[in-house]
Amino acid sequence: MTKRFSLTPYLFLGPALLGVAVFVLYPIAAVIYYSFTDYSIITPPVWIGLKNFQTLVHDAIFWQALWHSLVYLLVTPILIFLCILLAIVVDRRLPGIYAFRALYYIPVISGSIAVGIAWRLMLDTNGLLNGILLSLELIREPIQWLAEPAYTLPIAMLLTIWLGLGYYMMIFLAGLQNIPEELYDAAVIDGCNGWQKHWYVSLPGLRPQVTFVAVISSLAALQVFNEIYILTGGLGGILNSGVTIVFYLWRQAFRLQHAGYASAVALVLLVITLAFSIVNIRLLERGAEAGT
Amino acid sequence: MRTKVLSLFVLASIVLAACAGAATPAPATEASVPPTPVTIIREVVVTPTPGPNPEAVIQGVEPNAEITFWTFWLSPTFDDFINGTIARFQQAYPGVTVKWEDHQGTFLDDYRNSVAAGTQPDVANLSNGEGWVSEFATKGVLLNLDDAVPQSVKDVYFPGLWRVSLVDGKNYQFPWYAAVAVELINTQLYTQAGLKVEEFPKTVAGLPALCKTIKAMTGTLCDIRLTVNDLPSQMIYEGGVKFISDDGKKFTFDSPEAVTWLQMYVDMVKAGVVDRTALMTDQDRVALDLFTTGKAAFFQTGPQLIREVRTNNPGLYGYLAVVPAPLGASGAMPPTAMAISVKKDTPFPNASIALAQFFTNPRSMLEFSKVVSIYPSTPASYDDPFFSAKPVAIEDSAKPIAKDIISRQTDLKPTIPSFKDVNEILLQAIQQALFNNVPAQQALTDAVTKANALIK
Repeated sequence: MTKRFSLTPYLFLGPALLGVAVFVLYPIAAVIYYSFTDYSIITPPVWIGLKNFQTLVHDAIFWQALWHSLVYLLVTPILIFLCILLAIVVDRRLPGIYAFRALYYIPVISGSIAVGIAWRLMLDTNGLLNGILLSLELIREPIQWLAEPAYTLPIAMLLTIWLGLGYYMMIFLAGLQNIPEELYDAAVIDGCNGWQKHWYVSLPGLRPQVTFVAVISSLAALQVFNEIYILTGGLGGILNSGVTIVFYLWRQAFRLQHAGYASAVALVLLVITLAFSIVNIRLLERGAEAGT
Repeated sequence: MRTKVLSLFVLASIVLAACAGAATPAPATEASVPPTPVTIIREVVVTPTPGPNPEAVIQGVEPNAEITFWTFWLSPTFDDFINGTIARFQQAYPGVTVKWEDHQGTFLDDYRNSVAAGTQPDVANLSNGEGWVSEFATKGVLLNLDDAVPQSVKDVYFPGLWRVSLVDGKNYQFPWYAAVAVELINTQLYTQAGLKVEEFPKTVAGLPALCKTIKAMTGTLCDIRLTVNDLPSQMIYEGGVKFISDDGKKFTFDSPEAVTWLQMYVDMVKAGVVDRTALMTDQDRVALDLFTTGKAAFFQTGPQLIREVRTNNPGLYGYLAVVPAPLGASGAMPPTAMAISVKKDTPFPNASIALAQFFTNPRSMLEFSKVVSIYPSTPASYDDPFFSAKPVAIEDSAKPIAKDIISRQTDLKPTIPSFKDVNEILLQAIQQALFNNVPAQQALTDAVTKANALIK
């Protein structure tokens, strides 16, 4: 029996494949090509072979940016921990609990630029935070939070965590509500107290959500840009203290017009992101298999 | 009824006219009675023939040209002015269609992308101060106006403003609205510091001592900016620094003058008398906001931004004073005019030049000045009594002296090869000196070594 060729599935797939080809495959191919060229966006690219990658190896700011991006990955475990905690807290039948859930979700729908500006105002030399600290006499003169190299990255990370808290909390909340009630009943019969119930039942039950959040939030952390741009006034922080790999890529492409070099940076980021995602998923899958 | 009466009246007039003798007397014959002189009064309605529009100074404008025009951050505040000027332009150059777009925070990216995508607007409002004109002229995407317009048109502008952002000695911009650099003073804070407005420093060198006093007396920090997108200019004007050798083959910005200039900022940062967030940002809004919130004693800007203070903090507006901005070691003030440039390979070069010139002609500039506190780049505009009238509002305080100030603005910045890279090298070096305890001399010498490596 021979299979009959049918055009119908391809017609259904066509629009989506076209979208992927135009918005994903072509840009990736273009970036690969540009990474071997001297290209300033305005003038046509000129082939220079591996020169961009050779420059990259000796570029101290690139390594600094890469290090900052790796440090930024710390937001992932912190987010997972805080979001699970928050999901457990709001997964109760308490009066007004829906209002709390909505409140925690507000930063997600506020947009990182708007929130970034609000944070910048709050952390300004004459901002709310300094005002409170001064009134409590905890400091004698205002701290220039956003102009202090040591604070730039932690503040940006804190902002990312605050922005993502509501979104990831909802994912964990949905996961918690899918865990059968009987498992908790069984745990109580086995003598588990409140926290033990979550340790032995909730956490294993949330493993798929943890995998998802770990992958998604770490990819987002590797690609952080908005927070850095807004908080540092577009400069990347004093002494490049807030420059992450994507911010550096942007600076090279759009401030300095080295689109070819920026493409080389983007290619390195692509490889790191891909490798990181694969390792992440493999580790968590292995964990899931061990747990079953 | 009324129509009928009128019709009868007209009909009667025609009949009477037909029965009457000829109005013009018949030629007299020798035997006839000498004619009696008759005075005939006729009312003649004349439709004037359109003469040349005095604002249409560009010849050979392509018929039915369709040109795109981009402005930078002018809508919606100045929609009426822009639309009105375009309407007047279309009267002066009938048949030309103008499609106007205003781009704001993303202007530069939009413009670069349009160049890459082949959709560059025919006419665009670029900034001289931010180095946009020289950037795009260097890339060869702007029209050389020195060769494209007659001398009579060039003579409309202040000579110093026509010779701005030159690339290989050629001009690529029509100078548009200019600003007069002034210091806005928050008199409440200033007097609290025991200072007198009239004694504001006349030179940049006086700022460190002033900031020290203000910090000691009021606890507030100085709102001073390093222009991170164009540090060479700041070095040249404030520090009197010779930036590059005359032959353009060696950078020289590690000279004693340059070190003195950088050391002044290092000392202010170390003394903790400047707001570092405002000092190191490429967004001038940060510094403006600091002043507008009433947390800084003074701020250098153009009078046109006083409206920001009036709108956002009316309480402070009443306590504003304006003094001339201090001069740097160069003794000169940098040109501040915005520019309008034309795309090099536009299909409608004459129409595009005409539009750019029209927006920057004396009448358009005068009308714009009446809408907002900007200053024309055309001397003729200042002949209007608007500029000689006694200032009423503080925004207008620079009006009577503006012509003199703008006529003396001079572009001292030489052509700097690989400008953006050199500026970035300098930015990194300055940060090392300001925040990482690297001596100013060492930071600048290292930067010069790196910058020299870029010269091919």
